[in-house]
Amino acid sequence: MKSNSSRKVSFDSLIACASCDWLHYRTMIERGSRASCSRCGHELYTRKPFSVDRTLAASLAGVVFLLLSLSLPFLSLSTGGISSSISILDAVGALWLSDMRWLGALSLALIALLPFVRLCLLIWVMFRLRYRLGILPSMRAAMRWAETLEPWAMAEIFMVGVVVSLVKIADLATLTVGPAFWALLGLVLTTSLISIFFCRDSVWQLLTTHSA
Amino acid sequence: MATTDNTLGITAQQAGLARCDHCGALHRLPGTENCRLCGARVQSRKHNSLQRTWAFLIVGLMAYIPANLYPIMLTKSFSGNTSDTILSGVVTLAQSGSVFVAIIIFVASVVIPVAKFVIIAGLALSLHFQWAMSEHTRHILHTITEFIGRWSMIDVFVVAVLAALIQLGAILTIEPGAGINAFALSVVFTMFSATSLDPRLIWDGVEHGE
Repeated sequence: MKSNSSRKVSFDSLIACASCDWLHYRTMIERGSRASCSRCGHELYTRKPFSVDRTLAASLAGVVFLLLSLSLPFLSLSTGGISSSISILDAVGALWLSDMRWLGALSLALIALLPFVRLCLLIWVMFRLRYRLGILPSMRAAMRWAETLEPWAMAEIFMVGVVVSLVKIADLATLTVGPAFWALLGLVLTTSLISIFFCRDSVWQLLTTHSA
Repeated sequence: MATTDNTLGITAQQAGLARCDHCGALHRLPGTENCRLCGARVQSRKHNSLQRTWAFLIVGLMAYIPANLYPIMLTKSFSGNTSDTILSGVVTLAQSGSVFVAIIIFVASVVIPVAKFVIIAGLALSLHFQWAMSEHTRHILHTITEFIGRWSMIDVFVVAVLAALIQLGAILTIEPGAGINAFALSVVFTMFSATSLDPRLIWDGVEHGE
């Protein structure tokens, strides 16, 4: 019935809601505002100011925090005159050596590997966009992977886990947090900054319009 | 927060179009395999969405049973060996006075997984049998399941941190129990289950009703 009207318009002037598939015309929105679906309220697109610059800056800071949090001492333990201090990589190594490989590998992937890969992909795409180095097809693949990896980067959940560990072991031993703990907090904060700054639809527009 | 009122009054599917899940480009159906702009696979609706959702959910549920029956953490010290399951760990924490942390663990390891099983199963059943339920309610439930699932990983990280750190031989050693592997698998599979459920199916029911 109404479907005839859509035949006349160009695909680029239309957008479908990712959550409910409802079709909308793209309209210019004010800088800093967002357009939402008129049926389900899901976000359609946003126009965030300086999105590429800010996402790049936050991702670079995130990588620095991540590398610091992996290498610096993370937790110190003392009980009955014995004390030891470990970094996250030491902890994963200890799990690996004592035959808890599965748990070690899963933790390493969720805390370090996947966040690291995601940040590197974001940095590479944002850097090339920021300095207008040209659009490569692999940048779109990189962006797809960065989006897919997002829910699997669990630094903030790990931090809650560490705090719970401190309480749980309080009767048996004294645990204190080292500088890596605060670096990890930095990573958690920069990760949430990335989700504030990143303007998904605008980045995809930049990545796709030049080649279409 | 302005909602755009420039709608065409139909879904992309009804217009014979499919949206690329990644870059948002629209494609004419049928005949499009991969997105012309970003290369991702283009599907109007996720393929076998409900079947996949059920499959992952059932595996997640199956893994959740041993996760609760077997101990997740073994503590060996000169004063004796103890083992904790998810629930006994919560009780021990609460008894030692850390009620707040006990609540965090209880929510992350029991309330969230159970709520997720119930919500996903309820959504899938309501889509299957076309139950009368507001689309907005279902939309909110779906959004919730996508966000809360990851937080169940807290207990896995707690065991990983303690097992890695507390290796003092005969004085005090903490080892992970079989339950934690099952629990981690349960969380991972329910996360897959939540992402398999295509939210657009919730709204497709609206047209059927009219």
